[in-house]
This record gives sequence, C-alpha cells and structure tokens, in this order.
Amino acid sequence: MLRTRRNKNIALDIFLLALIFSAAGYLGYRVSIQLHYTWRWSLIWQYLFRFDHEQHRFVANYLILGLLTTLRLSIYACFPALLIGLFMALMRTSRSLFRQLLGRTYIELMRNLPPLVIIFLVYFFLADQITPLLGIDSFIENISPEAGYWLNVLVAPPSSFSPFLSAVLTLAVFEGAYIAEILRGGIESVNRGQWEAAHALGLTRGQSMRHIILPQTFRQVLPPLAGQFISLIKDSSIVSVISIQELTYQGTQLMASTYMTIEVWLLVALMYFVLTFPCSMLIGGIERSFASDSA
Amino acid sequence: MNKQKTPAGNDPIIDVRRICKTYPGPVIALDDFSITVDRGEVLVVIGPSGSGKSTFLRCLNGLEEVDSGEIIIDGIPLDEDEKKRLQIRREVGMVFQSFNLFPHLTVRKNIDLAQRLVRKKSRIEALEFSLHLLDQVGLADMADRYPHQLSGGQQQRVAIARALAMMPAVMLFDEATSALDPEMIGEVLDVMRGLARRGMTMVVVTHEMGFAREVSDRIAFMEEGRLVEEGCGEVFFSHPERLRTKEFLRQIL
Ligand SMILES: Nc1ncnc2c1ncn2[C@@H]1O[C@H](COP(=O)(O)OP(=O)(O)OP(=O)(O)O)[C@@H](O)[C@H]1O
Ligand SMILES: [Mg+2]
Repeated sequence: MLRTRRNKNIALDIFLLALIFSAAGYLGYRVSIQLHYTWRWSLIWQYLFRFDHEQHRFVANYLILGLLTTLRLSIYACFPALLIGLFMALMRTSRSLFRQLLGRTYIELMRNLPPLVIIFLVYFFLADQITPLLGIDSFIENISPEAGYWLNVLVAPPSSFSPFLSAVLTLAVFEGAYIAEILRGGIESVNRGQWEAAHALGLTRGQSMRHIILPQTFRQVLPPLAGQFISLIKDSSIVSVISIQELTYQGTQLMASTYMTIEVWLLVALMYFVLTFPCSMLIGGIERSFASDSA
Repeated sequence: MNKQKTPAGNDPIIDVRRICKTYPGPVIALDDFSITVDRGEVLVVIGPSGSGKSTFLRCLNGLEEVDSGEIIIDGIPLDEDEKKRLQIRREVGMVFQSFNLFPHLTVRKNIDLAQRLVRKKSRIEALEFSLHLLDQVGLADMADRYPHQLSGGQQQRVAIARALAMMPAVMLFDEATSALDPEMIGEVLDVMRGLARRGMTMVVVTHEMGFAREVSDRIAFMEEGRLVEEGCGEVFFSHPERLRTKEFLRQIL
C-alpha cells in the first residue's frame, strides 16, 4: 500500500524539483543580465580570515569576529533569559492573583511589542541607567592587562563592554517572556496526580514545585527551549541597531564599504545557518531519545 | 484479627463531623457526612461510583477543602491554617488508584524524598529506612529502578512504601488495586493485609469484597455523599439493615 503511494508521488516530486531549478535558474539569469552585477566571490573570503603580516599567520577578520560575538551574545543571554523565564513562569502559575497578574503583564508586554522597540527601550532607558549604577565602566578602566585580555576573548573588548552587557540584558528580557510561556506550559502539563502525591506526603507547595514538578517540566520542555535558543541566535541580529559588532552589524558595515552586497549577505546567511542548523539537529536528537525513553 | 487495640469508640483518631462538599456544577459530593475511626481500626468504605468515597478520603488529608463541618485528625483540627494542614498530611499517608509515583526519581529516591524534605532525616537514615520499607513490601532488589521499569503491582507497592516512609498514624487507600491487572491484585492486598495485622489505622476504599470482609473491623456504605449504613464485617454482609445496602451488596457479590 505504502509502496505504491510513494511511487505515484515520484512524478510530482520530479515536477517540483524541475520547478525549483527553473525558478532559481531564471532568477540567476535575471541577476546576471539585468543587474550588471559583477560577482567578486574571490575577494570576500579575506573578510573571514586575513593574513597578518606582522604575526605571519591568518587571523579572524570582521565576519568571523562578528560570528563569535553573535555566539557569545546568545550564550550569555540565554542564562539570564532562563532565570527571567523561570521567575515569570512561577509568578504566572502562582496561587496569588497579584503574582499571576505580574507575570501575565510582563509576558504579554514583551510578546506584543516589536522586538526592535523593546531593544531601544531597554537599551536607552534601562541599560543606560543600570550600567553606571553598577560601576562597570570604572571597573573596566582599572582592570589589569591580563584580565583585560581574557575579558576580550570571553566577552567583549573592554571599550565596548558596557554596550555588550546592555545587549545581553536586552535580549534576555525579551527572550525571557517566551521562555516563561514555554515553562508555564510545561508546569501546567504535569499530571495533577504528581501535585497530589507530593502534597499527600506533606511537601509544601514550594518543595513540590522544586523537587517534583520542575524536574519533570524541564525534561518535557527541553526541545522547545532549545528551539527558543535558536530564536535567540536569530534575534541577536537586532542588536546590530545598537552598534554591537555581531554578525549582522559586520555584514552591514562590509556591504557599505565594499559594495559586495549579494556576496556579503549570502555568506552571512550561511554563517547563521552554520550556527543554528546543528542546534536544530540536536533538538531532533533530543526528541528522538525522549521518544525512545518513554516507549 | 489478632491485633492490639483500645476498646472501640474510646479513642477516635479520625473524627469527621457533618462535613459537606460541593463541586462546581454544582455536584454535591458529600452531604452532611459524619464518621469516626478508632486508633488501629480498619474501616472499609464501599459504595457505588460517584457516591463520594474518593472525596471523603481526599478531604481527610486536606487535598480537598470542605465547605462546612469539621475534621479532626489525632486531635488536630483541619482548617485554613497551612501549618496544621502540613502537620496532618505528615500524619496521614495516602495511596492512589493511579500510583502517582514520581517518574523522574528512582524507587529509592521516591521513598527518600519526603523523609529528607519533611522529616529532615539525614541521607543515611532515609536510605536505611527506605531499604527496610522496600524489603517489607517485597521489593528490596528494585531500589535503583525507575517507576516505569516496574509492573503495576510493584509500582503500587512502592507507593505504599513511600507513604509509610512518613511513619503516618493513618493510611488512606483509594481503590489501590482498581488499576491493576488481576494477577497483580493479590500482591498489593497482601501488603495491605500485613499493615492491618500490625495495627495500622486504615481507611480503605475498595471493590474487593472478599478482602473487605477479611480485614475490616467496620464497613461503611456510602451513597450520594451520605453514610447509609455502617457495621462490623460479617454482620454487615450477612444481615445488612437497609434495603439500599442489600441491593448494592446483591449487585456486587
Ligand atoms: N474535581 C471535581 N470536580 C467536579 N466534580 C467532581 C470532582 N471530583 C468528583 N466530582 C464529583 O463528585 C461526586 C463524588 O465523586 P467521588 O470521586 O468522590 O466518587 P467515588 O465514590 O470515589 O466514585 P468512584 O467509585 O467512581 O471512584 C461525583 O459525582 C463526581 O462526579
Ligand atoms: Mg473514587
């Protein structure tokens, strides 16, 4: 049964493939004829790595540096985002009406405003107020050269440390709302019997949440959480508007100075994909291992 | 049954006075329901589906709140006060029809958890007691398995051990064998029999009439949230007073 149905669809598959190829071909043709675009692929690679004549070796250039910044941003933002998400999810599922409202307000606000607007709001109002308050700038100034080196490698160049921190905070505030919703869904999907068993043993609500409900929630929401991490990588491109030198920002700069528009953005797209696709594969792996676990 | 107990009626550990419970609907689940259970007594509660048996048990450890009436467990009134509620839950163990084991914890940790969190025992103390309890329910070699690796009967025995780990004064059983395959019912009933023999105060909701007749000190028949009749084992089954009880017993026996 299945066999014959598959065979029947082969004709359709071939047709689709032909359609895609001809569309792509046509597009390529138009570009080459009409755009008078001179492809300069050979020149773009130096923006990944360039040869440093002083050090006599290849070093990372704009695009790779941008990719690394994107990666650092995403990784650092995901921890505070998780904390904010957990906190808001706990508010949202609390028994107190006030706390429910608090969580609800935060989540709805974040999910119903354009990310770009949130970025500007948080960046200019919150972050600008918070970083001086924490005394980060003076801390950076007095840092030893050794520590400065590691700060550069692990986080950001000391000069742009405080904007980097703001960007991390902004992304976390924004992604936290989505993570909160994922966690809330997970918390609510845990069988009611688990709460009852925990209560019947004399555990308090907090203890039940921490030892019984949340561990089961995290197991369940690991795939959507990983999916949200992919979103975080993608969304991190918005902080290019506040001059964080991540991948998209570097792409914009490069485009403006070299006019290799299509090469730049195709390469940038590929670089994002190299970052996100393994994550997607990982999620698939997690989901499969969970499916076989419960079977 | 050869067990030690104080004279009936003198030492109620559970004292339920005229409780009412209505679910949204409205469904009247308990209607002016009163009963007492003595220390060391085994009370079996029977009744048709929807008669309020589960609701009664769930009220006893505060999983449901009553609308009116009083519940006093071991001298502690069950009321709004969260502290007292937790205190009572420590004194009252409950076994559910659907086991409700914690799937992310091993069998041993299922039993350890409340000892450590609620009774504040050390890891070693908890471990030793857990193994002792597992031995008691005949599962000493299953300590490091996860619940889903056990049969239904084994899971329910773990659930009983988990409740016993709190050293409760009272054990509640809500159709503990109803979700089990027939060949596993015996092993769970055996554990419950052992508990009764050792003088545990038990309130048991069950459809196993043979078991009810054998271990019960008293049987209560409920219908539509009310206590229709209560009596001692043999007499209750052979000479029920109420017509309704007679009909019910004829149906299920
Ligand atoms: N959470 C709830 N919400 C609304 N109605 C409920 C709820 N729980 C129970 N009820 C209703 O209350 C009544 C008593 O239910 P209960 O579960 O106590 O009966 P039971 O005697 O245990 O029945 P069974 O033998 O089927 O387990 C039933 O009519 C039931 O539909
Ligand atoms: Mg029931």
